[in-house]
Amino acid sequence: MFAYIIKRLLSGVIVVILVSMAVFALFWYGPSSPARPICLAETGNRCTPDRLENYEEQLGYNNNIVDEYGNYAKGIFTGREMPIGNVVIDCDRPCLGFSHRSRALVWDELVERLPATISVAVGGAFLYLALGIPIGVAAARRRGTLGDKLLVSSFLFLSSVPYYLFALLAWLYFTLIWQVPILGSSGYTPITDNPAEWFKGMLLPWLCLGIFGCTQYTRYTRGAMVETLSEDYIRTAKAKGLPPSTVVYRHGLRSALVPVVTVFGIDLGVLLAGTIFTERIFEIQGIGRWGLSAVQAFDLPVVSATALFGAILIVISNLIVDVIYSVLDPRVRLS
Amino acid sequence: MKRTKSLAVVAAFAMVTLAACGGDGGDGNTEPSGTETFIDPEAGFGKIADAEGPAPEPEGATAGGTITVLIPSDPGPEDLDPTNGWSVLGNSIQQALTNRSLTQFRRNAEGSMELVPDLATDLGRPNEDFTEWTFTIKDNVRWENGDPVTPEEIKYGVERSFDSETFTSGPGQVYSVSNFDCGEGYTGPQDGDCPGITIDGQDITFKMQQAFPDMDFWSTFMAIGPIPLENSDFPEYGRDPLATGPYMIEEFRVNESLTLVKNPEWDPASDPARHQYADKWIFKFDQDQEKTDQILLSDTPESQTTVSNGLGATNVQDLQAALGDNYIQQTGQCVSYRTPDYTKITDINIRKAIAWGYDFKNIQLAGGNIPGLTRIPASAIMPPGMSGRKAYFPDGEQFEYNPEKAKQYLADAGEEGYKLTFIYDDSDPETKAAAEQEKKGYEQAGFTVEMIPYQDDAYALWDDKDSPINKKLNLRAVNWCSDWPSASTMIPPLIETGQPYNTSYFSEQEVDDRIKEIATLPLEDQAAAWGDLDELIGTKYLPMIPTAYRNDLFGAGSKIGGFSGDAAMSAIYYKDLFVKP
Amino acid sequence: MSTPTMGSETLGHLSEEALPGDEAPATKRQVSGKSPLRIAAGRLRQDKVAMVCLTIVVIFGLIAIFAGTIAGWFNVTTTPGNPAEDLNYLNGGMPYKGPPNGSFDPDHPFGIAPKTATDNLATWLYGCRTSMMIATSATILASLLGIVLGLVAGFVGGIVDKIISFVTDLFLTLPFLLMALVIAPILSERFALKPDTYKQMQLLSLIVILAGFGWMGVARLVRGEVLSLREREFILSSQVIGMSTPRIMFKELLPNLVAPIVVAISLMLPAFIAAEAGLAYLGVGITQGSSWGQTILQASSYFEHYPLYLWEPLLGIVVLVLALNLLGDAIRDAVDPKTRR
Repeated sequence: MFAYIIKRLLSGVIVVILVSMAVFALFWYGPSSPARPICLAETGNRCTPDRLENYEEQLGYNNNIVDEYGNYAKGIFTGREMPIGNVVIDCDRPCLGFSHRSRALVWDELVERLPATISVAVGGAFLYLALGIPIGVAAARRRGTLGDKLLVSSFLFLSSVPYYLFALLAWLYFTLIWQVPILGSSGYTPITDNPAEWFKGMLLPWLCLGIFGCTQYTRYTRGAMVETLSEDYIRTAKAKGLPPSTVVYRHGLRSALVPVVTVFGIDLGVLLAGTIFTERIFEIQGIGRWGLSAVQAFDLPVVSATALFGAILIVISNLIVDVIYSVLDPRVRLS
Repeated sequence: MKRTKSLAVVAAFAMVTLAACGGDGGDGNTEPSGTETFIDPEAGFGKIADAEGPAPEPEGATAGGTITVLIPSDPGPEDLDPTNGWSVLGNSIQQALTNRSLTQFRRNAEGSMELVPDLATDLGRPNEDFTEWTFTIKDNVRWENGDPVTPEEIKYGVERSFDSETFTSGPGQVYSVSNFDCGEGYTGPQDGDCPGITIDGQDITFKMQQAFPDMDFWSTFMAIGPIPLENSDFPEYGRDPLATGPYMIEEFRVNESLTLVKNPEWDPASDPARHQYADKWIFKFDQDQEKTDQILLSDTPESQTTVSNGLGATNVQDLQAALGDNYIQQTGQCVSYRTPDYTKITDINIRKAIAWGYDFKNIQLAGGNIPGLTRIPASAIMPPGMSGRKAYFPDGEQFEYNPEKAKQYLADAGEEGYKLTFIYDDSDPETKAAAEQEKKGYEQAGFTVEMIPYQDDAYALWDDKDSPINKKLNLRAVNWCSDWPSASTMIPPLIETGQPYNTSYFSEQEVDDRIKEIATLPLEDQAAAWGDLDELIGTKYLPMIPTAYRNDLFGAGSKIGGFSGDAAMSAIYYKDLFVKP
Repeated sequence: MSTPTMGSETLGHLSEEALPGDEAPATKRQVSGKSPLRIAAGRLRQDKVAMVCLTIVVIFGLIAIFAGTIAGWFNVTTTPGNPAEDLNYLNGGMPYKGPPNGSFDPDHPFGIAPKTATDNLATWLYGCRTSMMIATSATILASLLGIVLGLVAGFVGGIVDKIISFVTDLFLTLPFLLMALVIAPILSERFALKPDTYKQMQLLSLIVILAGFGWMGVARLVRGEVLSLREREFILSSQVIGMSTPRIMFKELLPNLVAPIVVAISLMLPAFIAAEAGLAYLGVGITQGSSWGQTILQASSYFEHYPLYLWEPLLGIVVLVLALNLLGDAIRDAVDPKTRR
């Protein structure tokens, strides 16, 4: 098991490195020099070739891409000194570079924004399961009936609406039109400042993410439960005269959870994408929104950092899932 | 990719508007009478050289509270460095709340804007021929860290505005470089001392390269305000510049938000225009238009103290009804033009045909504007309210959509089916829809149209004479706002040969000569001379077709008091805002 | 939110897990001489919900194919309207005739759009075509890519399998939305100078992006199935008689994979339709011509004043996505008899 984790971690590291290289190269060989947007913004559209060259030199974009990526990667582990204009910025490790747009070290900003994104993602992910699994189980127990079809298709209906519209309308109605007191003040307050405010502000974003995202958990739980409930050992348990709820939850759910956990592991990574919309609509200053505006402004260091962050998150969550997998289903042996 | 920067936004981004003054704006002339009403910017506001602090209290003003300002579809300034500040939005916020300069604008009880002293004790004392200006700096102004503001720091600020490598987009590149006499090729503090700026006690004297009667207007720009001698290197300083005004920066997130809190070192007695009512300001950039409108309509406790920097066309009627007095229609000195390529479209009849083929109402509607409310049909190059403006019609009467007339002109030119090529930004649904309407209009007027989708910055493209796309174009555009209400900040940058924003590539010796000549005229004759030149250009050459004069709509929640527009900046007048109890 | 990788990806895991169970019924069916797919189709025909959904999907498909003809029947076009005449722009900007304030306008059965006064029905019809075309093409492209890579990885095994699996993992790790946002402008910039091909290229680049990040699920699924089939007698015997590898893969293996692939595809379609709408909000997508995603984006601010304008494309998407999803579920149930009991 230990050797397996090490092996997975190693391949994860390679994947993460390749992802960061891909993002780096995409920008490097993109439509125009990565220095150009900065040059345009800084010079009020008077970006002459001379000035562009100047910026390229300042930002290191006239170097060889391999060297520059080397510098970037080295900076993560050892820190580096970055000359910006006539000042030298001391970028301690882990140095993810300097955002010319926000004039801040990328790592500092990443750390600062992390709690907001984690708040959104963890709460949303919790609701995925908290809503999805019970509904899925309920549907499975009533399989084939009208109740089953209604449950499944009503959630399916909700999640067919484009998510941004779903969240936007939820925000408009709960905050402004109905002014529901507890849902009415969405936004991020650090949990360390005021836990009650934090909870209140996060509730609507969580509900939106949760209701929208739980649909597929409902479907997978239902599917897996239907399958499990027809297994022989469940029939045996029923025959023994165990109460139905014990049979369903103790015996059935345990093995039905296996595929659900798999979906969940991948979703934790995909959640980063979900937070882009959520953070934008609910005004949460987290990593998703940051990455979005960085992409739009071609802010390479920030885009690289968010891509790196997302990749690491996905690799780690996949690994955790595999471990949980082996706990839930003894037939699976990690090797 | 720059979705948020439509053409209109880019223009507002690049230039500051400072409007109205001079006293004789448009008087004696009959305005072109359209069916639409045009709210004239306050003409005739004066200069009060002896205004002193504290500023007059607006009625019912109370202290306390937080004011939230929502800014839809504008990403806001990229940095807050005063030397770089040259956008309507950034300057209107910073100059009103955080950064003081030598002079400033104040809105008086009648609602007109007046020029009053700020850091200086008066509006500056010019010599006879306006080649030397002296200001005396007040001795009771301090930075947020408690240090006094000194004339040396103002001198440094002016010197800094010469630095074209660091502050390429700063207004100093235009006005400092061409006016202050710092010697040939001076490029900022790294070249040492500027010999043309001398300090004597609290007095600071600027020597000019030539007569510069508008120095008191130029002095309102924070770009030539004080900059600390130490720890003020770009770009770090642009993240958190030291404040001299009533508020200082607590947090600035590029494209997201700006939070201001009270500056304890600000002394009301030194400031004839600013107040310190609210405890805190939160500016939120790049907001969703619909969300912003709905917040203002909802009248929740939070929205009652919210201000919107732009109202959406969809909800204008509702907002007007809901907000009452806190709904403002503010005229700016901003004009949109269509600029046919003067080197390619050489026949004035074709240019006239374009003017008559421009389907004003449909284009504005599709573009999310309201004809007659936020966009007014234009005639002269100079907008109403500018001193010396002459109301005239380039073709005898107001241009309005008339395909038959356009066809006639095309026939006169012998160019039926003339092909127009222009770019449009297809990533923004509104600019795209407006372009499609424009295409349809021209086609019905007998033109052939080719539209090239282009999402990057249009001005950068039009400035690039080697670009293969630009070479294909024969119809461009420019949106321009004057920096202060003199045609010298309007006509030369748009018309003179070789100017970067002369997107028609217009070049006529007669006009260039006249522009140079006007600068040498006696001061009192200059305004009228600009008006005459405007008419000459419009009727004889028509190198650019003025399509619209632009108005802004602002709104505020029910608990915001002192809400008004700033005719000088075409922005919200932040200085008087307070939260009602 | 609706990333195309999700739906199909999860399927991959699911079936890997359910492998041992899948074998038994498959063998039985082979004995009876009917292909698994035919049996499933028979079951599907019994499912009323599935048949209703299938009808809806077919209708939408016909609408997409004959959008131009249908627009012709109603005499509507997507050309820009005449807002100055048709909209009451000084009083809220709503159309004088037709919805939301007036009664039914026979010239414009779905009403006209605010701001542009373009006909809504025409926009809707062509939007349907765009959405369907993007989703269908991306699905075909993604499943082809996934099937080929999965087949090769599963059957050839060894180093090839390692490499393909690694690439699959790599693509799963790339943050889809960020990448789409980066790639889309690069692709469209390449073709901006050729206005005649720009529209096609824009469509193509969106399809490539969607497919490029949507094939991994199918690849994993197919690889998993192949791994279990590879050791079965009929494959081993075809190897013994000297069949070429490509022939084994496509003639022997592929027919046995049809069922899971059909399921994967039926769930990929709705995911892509939803993804197009989501990407439109972030500024990635179709700007030439109309698409449902673009219309929803523009209509979202009229949810109060002109709800019909928003509901038309929204209902289009919701009904189609719902029908496709339910159909997908039904196909899966039909293919895998265990979930039906």
